[in-house]
Amino acid sequence: MNCEEIAELLPDYLRGTLAPAQLRMVEQDIEQHIEQHIQHCAECRDDVAIWKKLSLLPAEQPSAAAQGRVDALVEAYQAGRADGRASVAERKHAPSRWTFDWLRSPLPGLAFGLALLAIGMVAGTYTSRMAGPRSDDLAAVRSELTGMRQLVVLSMLQQQSASERLQGVSFSQHDLQAADPKIVAALLHTLRYDSSVDVRLAALDALGRHSGQQQVRAGVTDALQYQQSPLVQVALIDQLVEWREPGLTERLREFQQSADLNPAVRQRAQWALNKLNRD
Amino acid sequence: MLQVRNGEGEMLGVLFERYHAPLSNLYSRIMGNRTASEDLVQEVFLRILRYRQSYQPGTPFRPWIYQIARNARIDLLRKTPQRQVAFEPEMVPPVVPQDSAQQAQEADLLHRALMQLPEEKREVLILARFQELKYEEIAALLGCELNTVKTRIHRALQELRKVFRQLEQGLGAPGCGPAAPNIPLRRQEQ
Repeated sequence: MNCEEIAELLPDYLRGTLAPAQLRMVEQDIEQHIEQHIQHCAECRDDVAIWKKLSLLPAEQPSAAAQGRVDALVEAYQAGRADGRASVAERKHAPSRWTFDWLRSPLPGLAFGLALLAIGMVAGTYTSRMAGPRSDDLAAVRSELTGMRQLVVLSMLQQQSASERLQGVSFSQHDLQAADPKIVAALLHTLRYDSSVDVRLAALDALGRHSGQQQVRAGVTDALQYQQSPLVQVALIDQLVEWREPGLTERLREFQQSADLNPAVRQRAQWALNKLNRD
Repeated sequence: MLQVRNGEGEMLGVLFERYHAPLSNLYSRIMGNRTASEDLVQEVFLRILRYRQSYQPGTPFRPWIYQIARNARIDLLRKTPQRQVAFEPEMVPPVVPQDSAQQAQEADLLHRALMQLPEEKREVLILARFQELKYEEIAALLGCELNTVKTRIHRALQELRKVFRQLEQGLGAPGCGPAAPNIPLRRQEQ
């Protein structure tokens, strides 16, 4: 065997994962060939030696401070789950901005689905029949579809099931180059009032894509003071640090003084303040 | 992980405990910056919580968490590219066998040589040498073919060997990666 052939086998040889099928030999034979080559080739021998030498690098243990932060995160998460369960009742009293409650019943929901299908088919047929569609016609169809998408997103965000609301948040991000104001408002409402931590976090992610809009930045900034879940609070802090909102330092200092703040959130706020000062 | 995904927080501590040290080591060795490493581990755990619904039950968990870890590091580098070449003298291996000054020196040189490799090579080498990932999993993580991973490992090893020898002979850094930090070799601190 020459160096080139050895090079192909060396990574598996070093980890003891040589496959006999590689050279139609039994594993011991391949190893023997490699070892014979290594005895005579200083460079390949050094490659093996440096691989073994890497074991000299010690494994570090996480520092006590880092361990403390992770422990606090676990506690925060568990506190957040408890908070999520408790807030289901609260959600019933949250102000409703929805006008699509009728969609929650199965029959109207089905009818709505069929209507969507029909519109899709009509739009498809319409566009396919036109050999050279005029741009204003296409724009009209596109606008209609955007309107339907908006309706679907708004109705999905209203569903009882958290997974369906999650899908609604996910759907809100499809093909929306410019944020639709109604969807943005719905996402901000979801971020503030949804009973599920997962849905609130997903809404925050979706809103993060529209950081250019003042309405979004202001809404997300305001959400921090109303949020009870430590996990969402931490995510909000991260998002705001990324945006570098003017006045964020003062807001964070004020927030940090809140009496019943979770220790992990307090630490994250401190980390954010340090980061803002450092950068 | 399935229990965590379904919102059962009790298993979270176990999960984090299992991955805390491996991830800390992964980041420390790739980035050479302990503070950034610890921040990143925290970030990974936060992302696990935030995106736990994206974990597919029945699929291996380890590649999923390493993908999150890699994305978090790439995001950090994108936001603060200067960290890519950060080097903290404190990151030179702090713990060495008490009776071997030579091993301490070799570990020191090795660490410095590793930090001089281009990050792409350092990453693949560390994943292969220190993390319990199969080559197939590393290939999926890096988005390349299995053979490419093996070739990269071999090339990284060759380059590490050359840099190590040059440092050993006091020749300084070759023409790749950041310049060798001019720090004295650290002996074991009693």
